[in-house]
Amino acid sequence: MKKTIDTNSVLLQARDLVKHYPIKTGVIRHTTGFVRAVDGVSFDLHPGETLGVVGESGCGKSTLGRLLMRLEEPTSGSVFFDGVEMYRQPLNGAAMKKLRRNIQIVFQDPYTSLNPRMTVGDIVGEPFKIHPEVAPKGSRRAKVQELLDMVGLNPEHISRYPHQFSGGQRQRIGVARGIALNPKVLILDEPVSALDVSVQAQVVNLLEKLQAELGLAYVFIAHDLAVVRHICDRVAVMYLGRIAEMGNEEEIYDRPTHPYTQALLSAVPVPDPTLKDSSNQIVLTGDVPSPANPPAGCRFHTRCWKLKAQGELGDSAFTACSEVLPELREHRDGQRTHLCACHVPGPRITG
Amino acid sequence: MSIFEPTNNRLLDVSDLFVEFRTREGVAHAINGVSFSLDRHETLAILGESGSGKSVTAQAIMGILDTPPGYVTGGQVEYCGVDLLRLSERERRRVRGAHISMIFQDALSSLNPCFPVGWQIAEMFRIHRGLSKSKALEASIRLMERVNIPAARERVKAYPHQFSGGMRQRIMIAMAIALDPAILIADEPTTALDVTVQAQIMDLLKELQAESGMGLILITHDLGVVANVADRIAVMYAGRLVETAGVHEVYADPRHPYTIGLLESVPRMDVARQETLPAIGGLPPNLLAMPEGCPFNPRCKFAVDGCRVGEPPPLTQLASAEQRYAACWQVDQLTDMSTAGGQR
Repeated sequence: MKKTIDTNSVLLQARDLVKHYPIKTGVIRHTTGFVRAVDGVSFDLHPGETLGVVGESGCGKSTLGRLLMRLEEPTSGSVFFDGVEMYRQPLNGAAMKKLRRNIQIVFQDPYTSLNPRMTVGDIVGEPFKIHPEVAPKGSRRAKVQELLDMVGLNPEHISRYPHQFSGGQRQRIGVARGIALNPKVLILDEPVSALDVSVQAQVVNLLEKLQAELGLAYVFIAHDLAVVRHICDRVAVMYLGRIAEMGNEEEIYDRPTHPYTQALLSAVPVPDPTLKDSSNQIVLTGDVPSPANPPAGCRFHTRCWKLKAQGELGDSAFTACSEVLPELREHRDGQRTHLCACHVPGPRITG
Repeated sequence: MSIFEPTNNRLLDVSDLFVEFRTREGVAHAINGVSFSLDRHETLAILGESGSGKSVTAQAIMGILDTPPGYVTGGQVEYCGVDLLRLSERERRRVRGAHISMIFQDALSSLNPCFPVGWQIAEMFRIHRGLSKSKALEASIRLMERVNIPAARERVKAYPHQFSGGMRQRIMIAMAIALDPAILIADEPTTALDVTVQAQIMDLLKELQAESGMGLILITHDLGVVANVADRIAVMYAGRLVETAGVHEVYADPRHPYTIGLLESVPRMDVARQETLPAIGGLPPNLLAMPEGCPFNPRCKFAVDGCRVGEPPPLTQLASAEQRYAACWQVDQLTDMSTAGGQR
């Protein structure tokens, strides 16, 4: 079954999403600063599409996922689902409930995201208690068994508890719960990073199968760039709360134009010892700066290898890097364009 | 400890190691007859999934197995000709750190949150070398510089929570190499780190190894990291070695069905996307309920009836190649049946 992406309509639209967490200090807990977890993120998600969100820890990718589900209230900005502004509605209202039905989430850790005191049937069937219109009371057990079958679990195991399953099977339970309400968008927050390699491939295949069958759109948050390339149609690379580069899978992986994307890709070890020549690798020095105190200008300029290599030559194009925050804009590279937030974007010249 | 003078290039000889865990649910045979060796300058990668026994192997070599429930029930761990398993705890403590040391996956929980990092590094010198507090602190500053921690003199009094994940792992490495060990065991040293930091840490380990010639045992499940740093690979499954060979041979021409499946199932970044990943079916082994015959047979696409009964296949040398071992009854038929090797 081949999946279809409807690029003419937009299912989920994020505009200038910002989430700042206050830092409170002292006895009276006054606010002394803000952690800029997400700092101006915009994108569109089409029906049936998989958007990958990649970045190092602390770049705000998980916060973004929670904002898209309204598990967090944004500081500013908006999210539209099917043209309806998500944050205008009162929380817990009927409209909010309807919206939640359409956007579901699968968490990273299958060991802590399932209640150990509930049976699999209760876990997967719990969404129906809140949304009884999806499955009337009498048919729930059958519906849960159908879901278990869909995710490749034995429907007879409906009365088992989470500890009786392995990690991969638990993640399947999490996926079954996620798709129980027939959502249109599934947010996958690192769904395979806690799993063993051989099991990881099984879950990735399951996600692809479900997408083709149900026409789901995925927001796939991960730090494993190889898995993201395999499953995603488009990829957004995040750095310190902002999108550094966004484009389709081929553009990001084969023709990256942002120096951060290039460094990130070069750092991923390729499982092939004949390619272990590390001269091609860009090793970024230092750590990601604190999102409580992000650098002025381009967020990446403190670690940018391109700035270090060429800025010393006094190239005037690089003076903006430490002063002006680059916007995410179309960058023309031959025939193609994709979005890149850099003052001096361009393909990496290796030699 | 002059008895530990290396006589030749061989540092470690593990032979026929058995470890079991006696739990309330029954006896789990975590390691079943594992043998391997390590030379100076060599990097041996032990590759396996959770439950394969790779970390338990390291713990048995270090002598830090939790007893009970874990017991070493057989085999030798020879370091420079001395069987470590026969030493008293007092003697083993002198080996640990000074001759064989280890770094762990989770640096935050391996460091003591109540003491400054410099104090913790200096502890190595105070206890093993009997240095005074001030001299030990000086030595730890030099070590922190050696593992590329910027502003080491200022940060020596900082606490673990004040460091980032990558810096903490550097501190762990500093502690591990403090006494110039001959063998460093790295148990998933970069699994908790971001790729950019992972590259820094792996580079540091390579650099330190080149300087001192220590043998490195890298325990991991990351096929990418292994390809980049290992000289030799030992693949573990359900407490047994299923394949050992040089790194190039394993990737170019895997000979055990598990290794073949593992290499196929890893999504690759340098290859455009395929439709579905060729996943290994089934579940990782449950050590309390091992299948009869070859432990991999329920998941193996090459398994025949003979694989499902009797003893597990022993690790045997391949007829076609020297220094290559695989534990599979079907190993001679595999090359004809599998085209996976040719593609890689």
